[in-house]
Amino acid sequence: MVMSPFVPSADDTGSRAISRPGLGRARFDDAAFDALFRECGADVHAYAISLLGDRNAAEDVTALAFERLYRSRSRLDRGRGTPRAWLFAIARNAALDELRRCRRQPQCELPEEMSGDRDSEQGVENVARRATVRDALAALPLREREVVLLKFHGQLSNSELARALAISESNAGTRLYRALTRLREKCLGLERQEVA
Amino acid sequence: MKIIPFPGGSDVGPEENWAAELEAALIGTSDGPRADSWRELREDVRATAPPIAPEFERELGKRIAERRKRRGRLRRLGGRLGLLGAPRRPLAAALISGIGVLVAVSLIVSPWSGGGSQKGAREAFPTVGAAGPSSAASGKAAIQSALSPSAAATIPRVSVSPATAGRIQQRAASISLGVTPSEVQSTADRVSRLAASDGGFVQSSHVNVGQGTGEANLMLSLPSAKLSATLASLGQLAPVRAESQSLQDITDTYDATRRRLGDATAERQSLLRALAGATTAGQIDSLRERLSQSRNAIAQARSALQTVSQHASTAEVEVTVVGDGKAGSEALTLHRGIHDASRVLVVTLAVLLIAAAVLLPLALLIVALITAGRTWRRHQRERVLDTR
Repeated sequence: MVMSPFVPSADDTGSRAISRPGLGRARFDDAAFDALFRECGADVHAYAISLLGDRNAAEDVTALAFERLYRSRSRLDRGRGTPRAWLFAIARNAALDELRRCRRQPQCELPEEMSGDRDSEQGVENVARRATVRDALAALPLREREVVLLKFHGQLSNSELARALAISESNAGTRLYRALTRLREKCLGLERQEVA
Repeated sequence: MKIIPFPGGSDVGPEENWAAELEAALIGTSDGPRADSWRELREDVRATAPPIAPEFERELGKRIAERRKRRGRLRRLGGRLGLLGAPRRPLAAALISGIGVLVAVSLIVSPWSGGGSQKGAREAFPTVGAAGPSSAASGKAAIQSALSPSAAATIPRVSVSPATAGRIQQRAASISLGVTPSEVQSTADRVSRLAASDGGFVQSSHVNVGQGTGEANLMLSLPSAKLSATLASLGQLAPVRAESQSLQDITDTYDATRRRLGDATAERQSLLRALAGATTAGQIDSLRERLSQSRNAIAQARSALQTVSQHASTAEVEVTVVGDGKAGSEALTLHRGIHDASRVLVVTLAVLLIAAAVLLPLALLIVALITAGRTWRRHQRERVLDTR
């Protein structure tokens, strides 16, 4: 996995660590931009497609986000967050603009296509569980869904989440708490339906 | 049967603890089943999104690389043009500031440059010989003077009303020069030489030099036509402490004197004709006596006319050369320099103040508009999230 110089190293579980503001002090040059693109391109795309439910629109938003980041990289204020957080804030604005511009309702259903190993028992269980999570996510109000998506696709800390949402950190925490609680309720509801 | 190992359960603690637990679990600094379940949830959510299309990723990477190359070429071109390293925004800010200052300066300067009333004030000083053929000017005698008692370096150039065509005017001036006591005599000599070189002469002169002080008073008689030039030259000799000019209209006096001369001449002509026709000795004696009186009257009238003409063609200039300890030329030069510097500072501050007065509201307006625009856009974006 290619790491951005602004993001702390991956933890021992192999997942990417949440970016911490102020840790990355390297100059945001072209090499850093390339590294950020390689690391976050798929995540931005995943966030956009999960929010918009449309692959073409998600690709437009992804391209636009990197374009805007490249143009504004000289204004990047590292004291206010990492380039990753900056990128996701831009991607969020671009995605909302896309929704507004097209004057269409966001897709309620998340894409059906999901990656996963369906051969082993564990793989089948994972796929089933993820389908439930997907349906629960799709059932969430858009405002709550985007918080969950930003948190998990963007891998943002609560303070970075707050900056991306332009709200206070405590407010962001509360919003995330409510969204995850609602997600849990939806998942449980869907499980009960399955059992019934 | 799907089991969603959702963390927290129903006994979720305070939000702060919950948020800290979530953060710790996601960055991998905490262990245990709850942390594992958070991480698993993250992976589940991430897995719900379909993967990015490889061709799109390649295409986007290519576009980014192309754009970077283009920018690189532009930067190199900018470097050749001397713009290397100059960030766009500071450059734009500098341009806007420069334009603002130029606007402010033009606003300041335009009211003062339009009139041109000061231009050629000295040159506009009248000369008798230049009087034109017709005039609608007042016939009353007028004396106009301007005196500025301020310090030498701040003496404004003075001038009387310009010449009125068809009028005969008498002019006078006085000027006070400040020098060191040791320079009083030499300055007085230079004043005398200057008067002679300009076609005038020194009517009277009084020089008094004492211990640490000195003063010279000179009364110059100069051709009226050269008064302005001579005053300017006097101002070059030493710092001017005070200067005044006066003008008196003597047209009526001149006309009256001419009429008197004409009358006297005409009377003499008639007396001569009467004398030619006189037949008796008594008549002849009487006419000769009257002719003698007439000659005297003519002589007086001619003299008076000559005096008036003299007044019109010459100007009297009173020059006072004051020498004292604090009036040294060096001190005055320093004073002049300090004064000029302070004046430049005052003007600069005035320019900056006016520029700020113009630019500040403009900047506030722009900031307000930008803020309002951003707020509106943000509001519009947030509204999209409430559509369902």
